[in-house]
Amino acid sequence: MTVIFRRSLSVGFAALWLTASGVTQAETFKWAGTTDPQTMDPHATNSAPVLGFLNNVYEGLVRRNKEMKIEPALAESWEQIGSDGWRFNLREGVTFHDGSAFTADDVLFSYERASSEDSDVRSWFAPVDSVAVVDDYTIDFLTKAPNPLFPDSIANFMIMDRDWTTSNEAARPSREAENFATRNTNGTGAFTVTSRDPGVKTTLQPFDGWWDTLESNITEAVFTPIGESATGMAALLSGEIDFISPIPLQDVPRMKERDGFTVHEGVEARVLMFGFAHQADSLKFSDDLTGENPFKDVRVRQAAYQAINVDALIDKVMRGSAQPASQLVSSAMKGYSEAKSERLAYDPDAAMQLMKDAGYEDGFSFGLQCPNDRYINDEAICKAAASMFAKVGLNAKLTAMPVRNYWPELREDNFDMYLLGWSPGTFDAEHPIRFLAHTPNSEKKLGSWNFGDYSNARVDELLPMIQTELDEDTRQAMIDETTELLQQEIAYIPMYVQPLIWASKDTIELTQRTDNFFILRWVTVN
Amino acid sequence: MINAWLRWSRENELAYLFFRNPVAIVAAIIAILCIGGAVLSPWLAATDPYDIASLDIMDSLIPPAWSESGDARFFIGTDDQGRDLLSAILYGTRLSLLVGFLAITFASVLGVTVGLMAGYFGGRFDAIMMRIADIQLSLPAILTALLVDGIAKGLLPRGQHDNLMIVVLTVAIGLSLWVNFARTVRATTFVERNKEYVQSCEIMGMHPFRIMFTHILPNIMGPILVILTVDLAVAVLLEATLSFLGVGVPANQPSLGTLIRIGTEYMFSGEWWIVIFPSAMLILMIISINVLGDFLRDALNPRMR
Amino acid sequence: MLAFVLRRLAQSIFVMLAVSLIAFSLFRFVGDPIAQMVGQETSIEDQENIRERLGLNDPLTTQYVRFVSNLSQAEFGYSYRTRQPVSEMILSRLPATLELGAISLVISLIVGIPAGIYTALKRGFLSNALLVATLVGISIPTFVIGIFLIYLFGVSLGWLPTFGRGQTVALGWWQTNFLTVSGWKALILPGVTLGVYQLTLTMRLVRAEMQEVLKTDYIKFATARGINYRSLYLNHAFRNTLVPVVTIIGLQLGGIIAFSIVTESVFQWPGMGLLFLESIRYVDIPVMSVYLVLIALMFVVINLVVDLLYFAIDPRVRLRGSHD
Repeated sequence: MTVIFRRSLSVGFAALWLTASGVTQAETFKWAGTTDPQTMDPHATNSAPVLGFLNNVYEGLVRRNKEMKIEPALAESWEQIGSDGWRFNLREGVTFHDGSAFTADDVLFSYERASSEDSDVRSWFAPVDSVAVVDDYTIDFLTKAPNPLFPDSIANFMIMDRDWTTSNEAARPSREAENFATRNTNGTGAFTVTSRDPGVKTTLQPFDGWWDTLESNITEAVFTPIGESATGMAALLSGEIDFISPIPLQDVPRMKERDGFTVHEGVEARVLMFGFAHQADSLKFSDDLTGENPFKDVRVRQAAYQAINVDALIDKVMRGSAQPASQLVSSAMKGYSEAKSERLAYDPDAAMQLMKDAGYEDGFSFGLQCPNDRYINDEAICKAAASMFAKVGLNAKLTAMPVRNYWPELREDNFDMYLLGWSPGTFDAEHPIRFLAHTPNSEKKLGSWNFGDYSNARVDELLPMIQTELDEDTRQAMIDETTELLQQEIAYIPMYVQPLIWASKDTIELTQRTDNFFILRWVTVN
Repeated sequence: MINAWLRWSRENELAYLFFRNPVAIVAAIIAILCIGGAVLSPWLAATDPYDIASLDIMDSLIPPAWSESGDARFFIGTDDQGRDLLSAILYGTRLSLLVGFLAITFASVLGVTVGLMAGYFGGRFDAIMMRIADIQLSLPAILTALLVDGIAKGLLPRGQHDNLMIVVLTVAIGLSLWVNFARTVRATTFVERNKEYVQSCEIMGMHPFRIMFTHILPNIMGPILVILTVDLAVAVLLEATLSFLGVGVPANQPSLGTLIRIGTEYMFSGEWWIVIFPSAMLILMIISINVLGDFLRDALNPRMR
Repeated sequence: MLAFVLRRLAQSIFVMLAVSLIAFSLFRFVGDPIAQMVGQETSIEDQENIRERLGLNDPLTTQYVRFVSNLSQAEFGYSYRTRQPVSEMILSRLPATLELGAISLVISLIVGIPAGIYTALKRGFLSNALLVATLVGISIPTFVIGIFLIYLFGVSLGWLPTFGRGQTVALGWWQTNFLTVSGWKALILPGVTLGVYQLTLTMRLVRAEMQEVLKTDYIKFATARGINYRSLYLNHAFRNTLVPVVTIIGLQLGGIIAFSIVTESVFQWPGMGLLFLESIRYVDIPVMSVYLVLIALMFVVINLVVDLLYFAIDPRVRLRGSHD
């Protein structure tokens, strides 16, 4: 059991203390986030809080730099072996936190562990056919088909030590009960976990033997999960913590005016959109229509699209902190379609005309499902959209619910229209096509989040071509074509890219990355 | 025998006491204004906040009319959806009062009946009812509401569920509040039961239920009224919590509690009116109802004179 | 007396079985645990496999029987979210909740009972102010009161910490706040926040009871005989309000445990309420069910004690209990 220490100093006292301590003194950095990482096992849960946190402790073969580009980490270089796969040349002289040396065998072991039945990250290795150790510092990942994106897709594949893991009986991640790796770590990363009290406090310290040079000057970092955003804000303002992510959008203007604090604003990778029940024969929640589904008609979908004033949503609900989206990925993603970056204009008159053309001049009611604790201001966005829909005769009956009920509801097709946010794990335009646009196919594990069963034969045909095409320009042309199809058919209504809003004391220098990972080694306490 | 109940109906006496009590008069005026405003909201309110087609997001977060960037159309400003806050409060109060009153009526009828019987009969009935109360207390209101809602969803066709949400909410909130009544009434009944007046009724061969409801009940109205009036606020706020769980009123028809819940998101953003006005409405209402409750208890209590 | 206690203990097993059964049947309304356990890229088949392995596809009765039989062997299972043993998680959070609950109970009683007596005896500005202030307290959501206190005393004045337990001292596995200054400081705000509703109810119930008692004949006679006011109120009148007050304390404890969910989450107080809230968010069924069973056990014990106190306080109740 851990004893919780916290200094209860006022802001002024804290500032005094910081100045007095000087640069060479210990720099304890305290930060807070909304969720505690569920586990310290890098292969057990594929969630942003876990992967983000563990990126400070474990490392992959490659890592993302401040601009999200892939750069060498445990692998010094990599190249394609013809069209069969990829060869990684590993870094020599790297040690794990417990002092044991890092070799190709650890990579092989980590691959076996991460692709096992019990792993939650095994989908990353679906394209992999086999892995072969060439020598201690060379390893080949052989893929079933040419895979230009493979190194990008394994940036969060973290390497564990074979001996440490097996001798502590944690050779496989555990689904049911904890094992040694659930609360203990042994990575090669810049920080080691020195104590962990799940849900309460986790402490880290820089790793002396790290192979790279540490940009950060912090000597100890303490993470506390604070679920209530208002409490987190108070903790920051009172000086008890140095950094928090995220803060509520509505509090940004005031926060900016305060002396001594900085708001870090950026654009996340997540695109917010509305989806439709494309295949249902009738609306499930309508009061006035039975036996028909107007959303099968592209004109009705377009009416819904043009009824939404995205600029007003961004301006009012998102407080001007979001960017409009024209497609399923944001402009920061690889494969973003510049050619298809135009949104349909907001035009309620055109929308009403489209409704009339489709035979719904008098409007109809339908069910709109929305989460209320998943995305930034999600319920408010749905309410505002519902009122915009109502103006063209689309009478949305809005149901907002917590996300734990939301996904089951969508999986059971209990919606006529729904809100969805999508952040591509690979930071590539192929990702949403695979999960959201391809016809659902559980055998091939495709279209698994395509709740509305959107289906287009050409899109299905293009996806495998995009996945295997090695030439950048040809690939981009294919993505452009797919994007155009999705736009023409209004498969979804992409609205905006969600912002990232962090706040810290102004003595803190940090780097905000698009994936919302908080990277400790880029933090400097002045 | 039915003296106690006769006193309830002696309006002239009640009126006499009432007009001698200025605090009660003020409270009554406020309560009538609040409740009247809520009941008559469709006629009083400038706009219909539930008509979502009339809302314009560009009108959102406008401060009250008297402040610099205010708008004469919205006297106390607008909320995050561009609703006229005054209209939203009137409509929301109506919804909240409906749910709140129904729920505490349900809770008090159930709780008082159970408490009286448990305290009067004691023995096995008491043991069973109090263990059921234990079970109820162990389940947080959130879970009770999810259970009731889940059963309602299971039993009713999808379209029907929305229309019956008031019933679902009433039952859910009522179930989580009845135990307070039951346990307090039971404890006081224990004491009353052994007093002379009850024993003389028993000797006269009076039916136990008649003793309970016509003799014991008027003597224990004090604590019941306290819980009744205090729990009204709790019921209104509970309803708001439940709507966050997706169990409450439809998202586009905010209740007073929901307005407060949404307002709390704007506590520190400078848009103070979104949280202050709905909260003030609830506070005013609760205080006036409590003052009236105290007055009624004193006026109606047979022993108070 | 012993027979009574034994009978009540037997009943308590029934209560806990019923609570766990109800809890079990409503878990499917709370949400889907699997969707909360895995990432967005985990395939439907893998999700189904996990569901199968966790036994969530079994009929509810099978799951329930398995749960009860595990429970009876003190097997509390593992959390779906953190995969830690549930018993360990709850035990480590228990002291925080009990200490917070104890403080708010004390606040609500040492303020509520005297305030109730005072407002019953005196009318005037202070009396009315007390009554109004507590009503304002319950008309504002706990969440708002908590945040308001945090901003006032934590941020603006900087006197008290804004979150957490402060420094604790370990007494065996029990982490206590009571032995350090920072621990006491950390207790104040959440204790007050949690105590407000209880305080209102205590004060108003004591006041109502007191007013009733003051109107009874024996007090009137006593007044007529010229007994000293102070001794009259405290010895005669107050003693007669004790039965309801004991009930209130029993109710209070229940209310405190129920309300502590919100308070703990506002103050990031690492107690069972916060744990329960997190487990609802993640549909962590093992943690939720053990928590609920534990709460049921607490209620049974509290109410047993309350009933025993009735015997001790009021001879007339004792008479009734004897022929149960």
